[in-house]
Amino acid sequence: MNAAVIGAASTRVVAPPRRVSDATGEPAWLRRLLIGVALAFLALFLFIPLVAVFAEALKKGLDVYLAAITEPDAVAAIRLTLVAAAISVPLNLVFGIAAAWAIAKFDFRGKNLLLTFIDLPFSVSPVIAGLIFILVFGLQGWLGGWLRDHDLKIIFALPGIVIATIFITFPFVARELIPLMQAQGIEQEEAARVLGAGGWQIFRRVTLPNIKWALLYGVILCNARAMGEFGAVSVVSGHIRGQTNTMPLHIEILYNEYQFAAAFAVASLLAGLALVTLALKYAVERRVAAAALAEESGARR
Amino acid sequence: MSIEVRHLQKRFGATVVCDDLSLDIPAGQLVALLGPSGSGKTTLLRIIAGLEVPDAGTVLFHGEDATDADVRERRVGFVFQHYALFGHMTIFENVAFGLRVRPKAVRPDEAQIRARVAKLLALVQLDPLADRYPHQLSGGQRQRIALVRALAVEPEVLLLDEPFGALDARVRKELRRWLRRLHDEMQVTSVFVTHDQEEAMEVADRIVVMNQGRIEQDGAPDEVYDHPASPFVLQFLGDVNLFRGGAATGVGAADGGTAYVRPHELQVVAGAEPGSVAVTFAQALTVGPNTRLEFRRRDDQSYVDVEMSRAEWQALRDRLGLEPGASAHLLPRKVTRFASEDIDPAAMI
Repeated sequence: MNAAVIGAASTRVVAPPRRVSDATGEPAWLRRLLIGVALAFLALFLFIPLVAVFAEALKKGLDVYLAAITEPDAVAAIRLTLVAAAISVPLNLVFGIAAAWAIAKFDFRGKNLLLTFIDLPFSVSPVIAGLIFILVFGLQGWLGGWLRDHDLKIIFALPGIVIATIFITFPFVARELIPLMQAQGIEQEEAARVLGAGGWQIFRRVTLPNIKWALLYGVILCNARAMGEFGAVSVVSGHIRGQTNTMPLHIEILYNEYQFAAAFAVASLLAGLALVTLALKYAVERRVAAAALAEESGARR
Repeated sequence: MSIEVRHLQKRFGATVVCDDLSLDIPAGQLVALLGPSGSGKTTLLRIIAGLEVPDAGTVLFHGEDATDADVRERRVGFVFQHYALFGHMTIFENVAFGLRVRPKAVRPDEAQIRARVAKLLALVQLDPLADRYPHQLSGGQRQRIALVRALAVEPEVLLLDEPFGALDARVRKELRRWLRRLHDEMQVTSVFVTHDQEEAMEVADRIVVMNQGRIEQDGAPDEVYDHPASPFVLQFLGDVNLFRGGAATGVGAADGGTAYVRPHELQVVAGAEPGSVAVTFAQALTVGPNTRLEFRRRDDQSYVDVEMSRAEWQALRDRLGLEPGASAHLLPRKVTRFASEDIDPAAMI
């Protein structure tokens, strides 16, 4: 205790006291302890595992690493992941904008219900989500007979994986847009309408520019989740090697077969994606904050 | 272009905001819709613009039914209270917006757009700001941009929703005068909504006083002020003293009704005269060129306000030796009474 007080006093000599910390009234040792705990936690649970992934992946040399990610099954998994994301992310972009638009700009019955349902994928376990689609589209499911008669394959095929991915990632874009669009209101859209703009012109020239950064932010998060989703996709995919294995599923199989280097090599790609996502997220967040600040300082005048 | 509104009805849930409204606005007039918040004035304006759909009734533009016409076909300019400028566009692009979104066949070419926008920006003396963004402008500048943006599409009707509501007093005054001048130059039929009676009196050719979804009175500013149709109009247009019936002496006694006298219509006299009220002087408050005197009636202890110029007050004080607590008499120069007195006092605030 004594040492801490002396420590605090000596910092005062070096640097002028900071008003912010004075106002909160927390002693210096407590602040340092809290920051230290937070950093240690981050290092232990986030940073070390991330380093471990890359270390394990490259443990047996670059050749093994490259072989693992260019092997046909791995390439197929990467391709499937990209295709599933390429289909589900744009669809969720459209759904997300439509849902956010409806909720933010119109009043209708069941609005709160819709808001609640948008959060459903967050509250349901992904495995359950996968099982729901088996129940609906599977051979023994509600639509199974009809689908078989028409020679349509959904479960254990690409459509099932896409549907499961869409379900899991639905909230990201909508959740990002709703609060922003609600805060912006509809005055600018009304102004555009009175000035003679049509629906599409209003959307493209007024609404979209106002939400573009939040939209991009939502898409980035949506994409990261779409590529990384395991539970729901695992249930509907059927784990057919080279055909219905996405990257996360492929990693699991390799790991279960004790091919650690290969598993970590593919995992390093997903980890790399996460890092890129983080960087993009950081950049976009700054733009969103800057735009909000400009808006706010404008409104205050 | 003239505007006619016939038997307009509009309710939001259980709240009636337009209760059988009918109104004629001849071409070229500048009309103020004046009323307290919740009186339905903004809703009426939005219905005229086509931004709101009435439950019943019709809106005629130039004698033709426009009730179901799309906003885009109405050729109206609308100025929003909070400007509603497009934040991501420059000032130039904001003003050019209405021209750029026109269908190809009637869209002016780039050179024409540039010329038109430059002319409009010069009109409001904001041409140096063409490349700025709305958040870099002051409130008064933004409101002027919102106005020329509406004018850029050459509307036949200009509708303004509390156009100066969000501005500080000095800028507001300047913009009022400017709006009046602009209207005189352009001669476009204009309707503006306000809750500020001074603003309405100063700017408008005609004032429509609204209350609880109905029109209380409709007339020239002087007419509305001098001959109010109801106690509500009288009270809304300025301060007024109430002399309730039942009080033993003075103005309101005769028929048991209420008499209304504006503070500047009361004369302070030394002795009792026919029709005067006995009062005690409480205090004098001088704000700028005017002095407001506060008196208390000796019979029922209610307050009575008197207003006069600073010089008059100084002369009066010296002549009568008015000190707080001194007694005096008030003689009204002009008394207003209304035949029916079944108005809800809460609605007068």
